[in-house]
Amino acid sequence: MSTLTIGVELAIQRFLAEECLALDERRYRDWLAMFAEDGRYEVPVRVTREKDAEWDLSPRSKIFDDTKKTLEIRVRRLETDFAWAEQPPSRTRHHLSNILADPAGESGTYVVRANCLIYRSRGDQPTYDLVSAQRRDLIREDGDGFLFVHRWAAIDQSTVGSRNLSFFI
Amino acid sequence: MKLLETMGDAIKNGRVPSRIFNDPEIWELEKTKLFGKVWSFLGHESEIPQPGDYVTRYIADNNIILARDEHGGIKANLNMCRHRGNQICKAEMGNSSHFRCSYHGWVYKNSGELVGVPFLKEGYDGLLDRGNFGLVSIRVDSYEGLIFGTLDKNAPTLEEYLGGFQFYLDIYLKPGPNGVEVYGPPDRWAAETDWKICAENFSGDGYHTPVAHQFGFALGYFPSSGTTHNLGWAVHIPDKGHAIGLGHTPGLPPFVGYPDALVQHMKHTLSEGQQELFAKTRTAVGTVFPNLSFLIQPFSPIPEEKASTVRFCTMRLWHPTGAGKMEMYSWCLVPRDAEPEYKERAYEAYTLAFGQAGTFEQDDFENWTNLTRQVGTSLGRTLEFPYQMGMDLTPVTDFPGPGVAVDRYVTENNFRNQWATWLSYVGAE
Repeated sequence: MSTLTIGVELAIQRFLAEECLALDERRYRDWLAMFAEDGRYEVPVRVTREKDAEWDLSPRSKIFDDTKKTLEIRVRRLETDFAWAEQPPSRTRHHLSNILADPAGESGTYVVRANCLIYRSRGDQPTYDLVSAQRRDLIREDGDGFLFVHRWAAIDQSTVGSRNLSFFI
Repeated sequence: MKLLETMGDAIKNGRVPSRIFNDPEIWELEKTKLFGKVWSFLGHESEIPQPGDYVTRYIADNNIILARDEHGGIKANLNMCRHRGNQICKAEMGNSSHFRCSYHGWVYKNSGELVGVPFLKEGYDGLLDRGNFGLVSIRVDSYEGLIFGTLDKNAPTLEEYLGGFQFYLDIYLKPGPNGVEVYGPPDRWAAETDWKICAENFSGDGYHTPVAHQFGFALGYFPSSGTTHNLGWAVHIPDKGHAIGLGHTPGLPPFVGYPDALVQHMKHTLSEGQQELFAKTRTAVGTVFPNLSFLIQPFSPIPEEKASTVRFCTMRLWHPTGAGKMEMYSWCLVPRDAEPEYKERAYEAYTLAFGQAGTFEQDDFENWTNLTRQVGTSLGRTLEFPYQMGMDLTPVTDFPGPGVAVDRYVTENNFRNQWATWLSYVGAE
């Protein structure tokens, strides 16, 4: 059982839901503001391995390997008129489930695990991309709310079925 | 195929039929006539450093195990049991001395030799000759750590196939006495994109950069494009299809982005001609025919922080999986002799710019996917595209490297040679 109060659990769930909304509504500056200044954003490369292999998420290769500064570069890019991969913008919907929040080592910090299913529709094509990922975030209390210290997300496919990742996980 | 009969003349006139970029008949021909003949990239030696290490890769639709055997030799074999055809290795990488089929249990050494057959006495009465049923062996050869395989037993040597392009590959492969290594396993993703448009783009499409990657200029990554963007060289190896674009920006320091120690090393690893050319090369974007490409580029992840400029290198394999369909393998190569901290920074620059979430990569695949869909349409497939840029250019006479060089960065000389070479395979009797 979680040792968190219902109030804290709900507040964390709300924080995550607000993040999804910011991404899906393309309010990227609001999204960026949810990251701590020392925030990290990481998506490792997955490799199909035998069951007994040491790892199947590469300890070195990453799809995203960002600091808040480089995330801001990505946002600045999306704010130009020339981010063709998102022109016209994709419609994304981030669906979270199995949200489990637990206290982390440091007081006021929490590890939050969740499943994340992202639906992406582009242009007038009836096809869509589905990206399923496991998330593990480290968040920190900040005033009345929280900040992401570390977003870690691992995509379930080892060959990702999307022409590009011009959206955030 | 009528299209192929007229395509040779079309290329001479600076035209290429749109249809080749997304067509089921073309793909059927490519599978055997092109990918059945060429040297295809399988992997880098640093991906399989120890005995038993393996990766599984493809030549066209054929899945291949590339392994380092117990004696340190590099072996490539079809990933298919010779008994009933089951896939014997289901992982993308790992370490194993043997592979055992999960259907009837035939066991092969990682070199491909059949060593175990259940019920050899009781079922086969001892009459099966195991020597006849080793894995199907694929001929391999390598250059500076790049391992290639060919399905054609009569193919020329890799050295002959590369035909002098090695001179230019060295800009990617020899940044120090110990060459390069992969930073980690490649990014892999699937796209409804034809492999050929990617291979063409990486043969030196300087034309697309200021538009397709216009955001990069808007954010201040690059100096103004207008006056200097056309400076540089386009070089190709006639009849071999290999090509490279070398972009040059006046005023940049020699070998900009590399640590000084590596630049010192390069005086020993590169010839004088290579040093002369590579010192003034900003961007080098090249393709080993048909579908292995490289890009090296000085890059500061934060545009305003030019002091943090590194020179990242990506190697990518545009692996075709059907007409207008492909899977991408994208690696980051780092100099073995560089400090770990430099390798990390080069990798971070790579992920931000290239790789499937890379800011530059994203726009390329958006364009290429939409293009692929359009050329597959009933009207779109009937057209010819202009490929006439630079048709009247006189090649540079005293160029330091082999092949045909013209002194422009925005030109289509390389592409005409690429598609004429492609035609020499796909259109062959």
